[in-house]
Amino acid sequence: MKYFLVQILPYFTVALFLGGIVWRIWRWMIARIVHNITLSPFPSNWVAAILWILWQMVFFWNVLKFDPWLWVGAWPMHVALFSILGGHVLGIYTLGTQFHLLFPWLITEAQSEHASEFLGTFFGIIFFVALVYLLVRRLTLTRMKVLSSTSDYLHLLLLLAISGVGNYMRLVEGAGVTYAEARTFLAGLFTFNPQPFPDNWFFFTHFLLVQLLMIVFPFSKLMHSFGIMWERWIVNRPYKEAPLGLPGVKLRLD
Amino acid sequence: MPLVDGLNQPVKAGPKEFEGLHLVPVPDEEKPAEALKWLDYYRKERRSLVMAMESCVKCGLCAEHCHTYLGTKDPNNIPAGRADLMRKVYKRYFTVQGKLFGKLVGAEEISMRTLEEWFSYYYQCTECRRCGHVCPFGIDTCEVTMIGRQILYNIGMIPKLHAATDVAILRTGNHMALTPSGIVDTLDFLSDEIEEERGFRIEFPVDKPNSDILYVPSSADFFLNPDTLKGAAEFFEYIGANWTISTRITEAGNFGYLSDQTRVQRELVNRVWEEVARLGVKKVVWGECGHGWRAAKMYIPTMSDYPTRMRVPITHILDEVAAYIKAGKLKLNPKNNFRAQGLPVTLHDPCNYARACGLVENLRVDLYASVTEVREMNPNREKTFCCGGGSGVLFDDPEMYQLRIKFSQKKADMIRATGAKVLCAPCSICKAQFHAMIPEHKLDVKLYGLIDLVGAALDFKGHRQV
Amino acid sequence: MPYIEVLGQKIEVDEDGFIQDPSIWTPELAKELAKMEEVPEMTEDHWKVVNYIRDYYLKHGIAPMIRKLCKDTGFSLKQIYELFPTGPAKGACKIAGLPKPTGCV
Repeated sequence: MKYFLVQILPYFTVALFLGGIVWRIWRWMIARIVHNITLSPFPSNWVAAILWILWQMVFFWNVLKFDPWLWVGAWPMHVALFSILGGHVLGIYTLGTQFHLLFPWLITEAQSEHASEFLGTFFGIIFFVALVYLLVRRLTLTRMKVLSSTSDYLHLLLLLAISGVGNYMRLVEGAGVTYAEARTFLAGLFTFNPQPFPDNWFFFTHFLLVQLLMIVFPFSKLMHSFGIMWERWIVNRPYKEAPLGLPGVKLRLD
Repeated sequence: MPLVDGLNQPVKAGPKEFEGLHLVPVPDEEKPAEALKWLDYYRKERRSLVMAMESCVKCGLCAEHCHTYLGTKDPNNIPAGRADLMRKVYKRYFTVQGKLFGKLVGAEEISMRTLEEWFSYYYQCTECRRCGHVCPFGIDTCEVTMIGRQILYNIGMIPKLHAATDVAILRTGNHMALTPSGIVDTLDFLSDEIEEERGFRIEFPVDKPNSDILYVPSSADFFLNPDTLKGAAEFFEYIGANWTISTRITEAGNFGYLSDQTRVQRELVNRVWEEVARLGVKKVVWGECGHGWRAAKMYIPTMSDYPTRMRVPITHILDEVAAYIKAGKLKLNPKNNFRAQGLPVTLHDPCNYARACGLVENLRVDLYASVTEVREMNPNREKTFCCGGGSGVLFDDPEMYQLRIKFSQKKADMIRATGAKVLCAPCSICKAQFHAMIPEHKLDVKLYGLIDLVGAALDFKGHRQV
Repeated sequence: MPYIEVLGQKIEVDEDGFIQDPSIWTPELAKELAKMEEVPEMTEDHWKVVNYIRDYYLKHGIAPMIRKLCKDTGFSLKQIYELFPTGPAKGACKIAGLPKPTGCV
């Protein structure tokens, strides 16, 4: 059973994850943008429109502007999430030497490992705290309570569980696995050459919950990470105004 | 029919309206299935609907930015909650998670109760797009409301007000069933009024062949807002335009856009091009109407059945006025403005101008040049709040009327805070709403459109006739 | 379709009490409709307004512009509201047997 969950299921998970995302986006693309429903003030050209979309995506500008108390939780949560994702990829692939590889003249391998450890811990805690904040917000504000369905809480709890286990492995001495152990196993998965799974129940739980997240992802509101681009593509597009000046009048504009 | 299962609803259309719309309503027991068919159709047709259905994370940001929620505190009036009335059905039938987990992910079977809820809440939404403006993802709940109303229209659930207005559109080309003789008589009366006010007469050309400009006024101006028509005439007279009003398209608004976009909205679109061809018009100038200007500016290009070579540019009268002011061609004398009379004026930004048509700064160019004192509301421009009557929710059955008062509470507070004595609302629905709401909220303001105030400030001395 | 009983006759009206067929209007019917619009008794002033609206409607097929109504009858808008508490569009026009106004009113 365990062999199936760690050596075989991951292939289905990834297939479902990537396939599901492509399927969802394909479904979005079937429907057309029928009328120009851009929000004014209109961007003057496509460059301005795309910059505006990126600005919204990077800084959560509307959240900051219209609900700062939400931004306090949402923005750090997402920044931490993307940092952690990047950290997982780079840290495990380079065994924590990513900063050394980027700036070899500035940072030694040992320093890079320390930095990797520190940033991982830092963002891990931010992520967890921000998630708790968002969960409490959802549980206490009246308007959030009436809006939320069970799955909205479950998504948060799943993320909390993943980051909780992750943080535990990081913070408790000897509870986690080393970069090298994880890398050996993952390399085995990627090269279709099964390697032993690290003997650690926390890592097992972490690994399993992440798979669950990847399976749920394409079939849930978590697709909003792609949705924002497709949605804003509809409502933030350039518009060219018709020229002013009336025909056949005695008092001409020019 | 005020309360259906505890839901506030406007009176529904009956056989008389269905006959006028050539619409066969679906029998009640088949309505849910038929509505589902239409939802399936629109999810494959409108990307704006799919994205609104599939991108919301329920962050709740929109709640405090929606005047209907602020006024009623009804969870179904939170934009995300209102869209959820459709989303729960969408999830149940068109998503994997909804089919598998149902209630857990908030999915629900469609029933007559669902449709009654749609009818109640999609006719409480005023399609002001403030939620789209503030949403981090740009989700435009207005699109959900529009599709919801369209589906309800298709199965025969239409408010009587909208249905009766749609019938009038199909029959006469305007909302109020104005007849050519009524139009001419009213305009003649207004010419008399101008003569009394100014000492010389300005004629309103009607159906004049070989006109360069077709002016499309709102039909409500012929009943409630005489000064808006007069202001436009004064402007056209001042610049010496060869203009006309058509009796076949005497409507800047478009209730079809607010209830049936497939046929009724198209009727008015086609009438524009028919009249352009009939009267030899070179440019169409739109009158004061918020949703109507959006329907014209943003929808006519993609909705017209007429070939592009038969089309002419369409602009808004307030944009044109601003261009003339910026070019220094209009002599405006704010001190002699006999409509504003030197009183402080506040400007209500109609939602459709501000968030859908980019008509914000030009309003200010016009207003600041025409009156002595302007007091801006807060928030204004694209952050403006709706008057509470948007998208034609001008129902007068007691329960809905009470809701209109609640919807306009926020706006009333903002107007009061400015201390202005004149309220300038350049939109016919806003004007109709304010005509009723000014006494309800005991506001001490006079109501005008914007072109009314521009026209009154125009100084004809030494110019043409005087 | 709802009905009202007037003078022993069944008159077809819509949900808001506007009569469905303007051609069946009679002064007696107007008196009955007036009671529904918070006008207990039709005075000479009431008749002046109602008759004006009625004549205008028969001539032009629409209700007169409110300002024209005021000017031609000599009443101010305030006086019209005193005469017809539910307003000129929904009160006076209803008594005059006009269909319910549509659009942005």
